[in-house]
Amino acid sequence: MKDMTKDILAGAAGRRRNGSGDALGPNSEIGRKLKQYYDELVSDDVPDRFARLLSQLEQAEPAQKKD
Amino acid sequence: MAAVSQGFKTDLLGAIPSLRAFAVSLTQNADKADDLVQETLVKAWDKHESFQPGTNLKAWLFTILRNEFYSQMRKRGREVQDSDGIMTARLSVHPAQHGQLDLKDFRGALEQLPEDQREAIILIGASGFSYEEAAEICGCAVGTIKSRVSRARTRLQEILKISGEDEYGPDAISAQVTGTPAS
Repeated sequence: MKDMTKDILAGAAGRRRNGSGDALGPNSEIGRKLKQYYDELVSDDVPDRFARLLSQLEQAEPAQKKD
Repeated sequence: MAAVSQGFKTDLLGAIPSLRAFAVSLTQNADKADDLVQETLVKAWDKHESFQPGTNLKAWLFTILRNEFYSQMRKRGREVQDSDGIMTARLSVHPAQHGQLDLKDFRGALEQLPEDQREAIILIGASGFSYEEAAEICGCAVGTIKSRVSRARTRLQEILKISGEDEYGPDAISAQVTGTPAS
């Protein structure tokens, strides 16, 4: 998934920046489980309601912003 | 008033999987999480002009989502999580092919953490934010995030050691968790 890759890249960058790799990195059991837990949630299919919502917001916008 | 750009909309769409993951982590409930994401998207749309292009959109959205979560909790007077809801959240997750049982244990342990510790360890250990970004999202000092992460990690280690040691490996418990609803 595109976004997952982004998250993973962001994670790597974050660890480089703040050095949290030791505590929660791939060598820590908690760190691995945490990533596994979260990546599973991130890769869950997104319900259509969100794409519909954004389309509705887009259509509603011109009328709303009349000030 | 500037119109919302197509790029902003595309970026919002792209952020939804991360927002949902963070929302489930906070609420521990799949339905509440999606309502929270919906509120977040509406709020983000309304105040898109306060977002500065080139800054971290994901951090900006996480901040909105988190504020919304805590303001809803305050309104409801911190209602206790209902066990039905927790079950929904558990079942909504597709089990991984391996390590299924101990991931379930891990989820259970994560649920036992206070919200502030849970969000801190998720932001740092899973969402990929730096301590500085996490502090900004949570509106607190970097040192506060560090100590929350550290307490969360210690607590998780304690919980998993106590409750998880002889439960690893396949057994009857994993067979009971069937019927994952289609999403």
